[in-house]
Amino acid sequence: MIYLDNAATTAISPKVMDVLKESMDSDFANPGTIYSIGLDAKKKVERAKQDIVRALNLPHTHKIVFTSGGTEANNLFIKGFCFSDKKVAFLGLEHSSILEPLAYLGSLGNNPLSLLEYQTEGRLDLLQAAALSKSQSRLLCLSHVNNELGTVNDPVSVFEALHINSPDTRLFMDGVQAVSSMKISSKVWPGLAAYSLSGHKIHGPKGIGLLIYDSRLSIIPIIHGGRQQDGVRSGTLPVPLIRAMARAIVLAVERIDEMQDHFNFLSNRLVQGLCELNDQLPELDIRFNSLVTDDLQKQSPSIVNFSFAPVEGEVLLHHLEAKSIFVGLGSACSASLKKPSKILTGIGLSEEEARCSLRVSFSGSNTIEDVDLFLKEFSIAYQGLYPTFREKYSRN
Amino acid sequence: MKTKTLLIRYDEIGLKGRNRRHFENQLVSNIRYALRDIKNIKIDKIHGRILGRVDLTDAEKCTTRLTQIPGIASISIGNSMEPDFDKMAELGVSLIHEKLKAQGELKFCVRTRRSNKGFPFTSREVDFEVGSRIMGVLSSKGLSVDINRAEFVLEVEIGPQETVVFDNRVSGLSGLPVGSSGQVLSLLSGGIDSPVSTFKLINRGCRVHSIFFDNRTFLGRGGYDKVVRLAQILNRFQGGGKLYVVPFQDIQVAIRDHCTDSNRVVLYRRMMYRIAHVLAELKNYQGLVTGESVGQVASQTLKNLMAVSCVVPMSVLRPLIGMNKQEIISHAKQIGTYSISIEPQPDCCSVFMPDHPGTGCKIKYLEADERRYPWEELMSSALDSMETINLDDLD
Repeated sequence: MIYLDNAATTAISPKVMDVLKESMDSDFANPGTIYSIGLDAKKKVERAKQDIVRALNLPHTHKIVFTSGGTEANNLFIKGFCFSDKKVAFLGLEHSSILEPLAYLGSLGNNPLSLLEYQTEGRLDLLQAAALSKSQSRLLCLSHVNNELGTVNDPVSVFEALHINSPDTRLFMDGVQAVSSMKISSKVWPGLAAYSLSGHKIHGPKGIGLLIYDSRLSIIPIIHGGRQQDGVRSGTLPVPLIRAMARAIVLAVERIDEMQDHFNFLSNRLVQGLCELNDQLPELDIRFNSLVTDDLQKQSPSIVNFSFAPVEGEVLLHHLEAKSIFVGLGSACSASLKKPSKILTGIGLSEEEARCSLRVSFSGSNTIEDVDLFLKEFSIAYQGLYPTFREKYSRN
Repeated sequence: MKTKTLLIRYDEIGLKGRNRRHFENQLVSNIRYALRDIKNIKIDKIHGRILGRVDLTDAEKCTTRLTQIPGIASISIGNSMEPDFDKMAELGVSLIHEKLKAQGELKFCVRTRRSNKGFPFTSREVDFEVGSRIMGVLSSKGLSVDINRAEFVLEVEIGPQETVVFDNRVSGLSGLPVGSSGQVLSLLSGGIDSPVSTFKLINRGCRVHSIFFDNRTFLGRGGYDKVVRLAQILNRFQGGGKLYVVPFQDIQVAIRDHCTDSNRVVLYRRMMYRIAHVLAELKNYQGLVTGESVGQVASQTLKNLMAVSCVVPMSVLRPLIGMNKQEIISHAKQIGTYSISIEPQPDCCSVFMPDHPGTGCKIKYLEADERRYPWEELMSSALDSMETINLDDLD
């Protein structure tokens, strides 16, 4: 099996699994109780938290809240900070766990401001930050690394632009796709009101994520109960999941230089291979939706998204699946699910082009042979499917 | 071990004439099959009803299963006791009290059958004695007697060996016992309609096998998984069902590449009917079942329904033909297929859908289209690659 959909989820790392198993066996006590084994469990959670603080260079101003994953972390901050009247802006290329809470605020009368007209190359055009000041937005929501394109909004540059042009606007970033491929330096935190993470995107377990937020801000909880985690997020803490995620974060940060080089190597090979196919096959017309650049401030090397009209991405995906190659898709080709990816149409692709796209996303265990085999099977599948799709498009 | 008596009633079978015994025997054998894993169970057919005797702990489980068996009108759980009016009334109070508490008001009556003619009271007298004792306790809490419109009927059986007092009836599916009407083949998709049409025929006593046309090369395995789950749910109403999975992508590609755009959907369906018909003939099934309803989509206009069914010399049974979508949805919810049917899963790749599907395809043009691709050859190779799933094996 060749797994090239690491932006969807990643395989759990053996070192993380060791922590998870050990903790599942031994840490059964409720860390909210006051007897010794409960206090021991609580101590382990605190230690895991410290490991995360150190790995991510978090300042004392910022706090960690554990959630069930990235979706809950995004919901918690957007709803908890903005209910019900703080004006919010967003680029329009975010994950649905940001777009949907914003739409929900809109349904309550607090309509979010879309900055889609200011997107360039899948990122916010920083020269346009003054627009935020006019709108009096109190919060700007952005992806650190876009989940479909891998394009990057650099937190430090965005914050600097906000600081000059719209000083009252705070910045919230979805970091779910970032931690495995971007360095998180201490410089990012002063500018960030909040940042979300997910365990399973970085070789950790599913069902756990976290929100890092500036503790000077007040957040209204969305889950009420036993007032765990200072009442911001009630619910018994899942000690094994927390410890395993902390391990995954530490490992991701430790290996970041090595991984960036590795991803660069793989994505360069993929891009080069696709360009060669494009030259060899007259019927193939590749368009890169990700940026083709080595600049890590603009593009994560772990994601390559590209289009190849007229063949639909979903069909190609299933043909690759038949060869045990698994890739990602932002858009469905089915007759019943008619709307293609908002992110791809948001950067200017037509609906048809958006449907004819695939996303390849890497992990540390992918090899150059994986990329070569993908290129070979992609070429075979494309050539096999092209005649079926040609007529549909020439007719349109 | 304490036991309970299950009283199983049927309605439609009771109206049959000389072949009534055939239906009754089929129902008893279906009940025995459905409860085959229950220990110490005894099922008997007595005077137009079926009586079961099970261990106390299995009674609820058996009742739930019996509500899933076509042919059963209702089931009651009974308690054996001494023929003592005070004791009968005491049990009646405990059974009625819970329902009364939930509803605030309740109409009830007592109905007695007395086969022990040596018992010193008539049936009417037992009704009165037990009923008035219950009223004495519960009338102030909202209980009233209504013989014609009772919401709770306390049934008492006074037999030569024992006296049994039954709890209120639990409704069954009614209809006819599976196996009494022969076997048919249903065209099952992952949508809302075809599981309902399949169920309708199961409930008319047919053993319904299903056929699914799979295009996983273009759509992935999601559709297949969904249909297997639906078929499994439907099979729990009958047992012994099979699901046939026929690869359909080569036929769809050929039709798409060689035939008139607006005729495509009807041409796909003509091929599905033909393949289903060949399989049905081979297996001795006596009809095809579809979930079509007039005018629901372009391929289900009267003209197109004709253009499709004329390719098979076999009964095409369309139990939903006159039903509205909302009615079909409410049936799907009742049988438990709706939530699976609405899971998002593509049923056709957009590359195969015409821009403007025809609503009145003419047979001569459809036949002309079919001369443009080798449908007989493709049909036999699709049947050669067919997968057969015994649905009982999945449970």
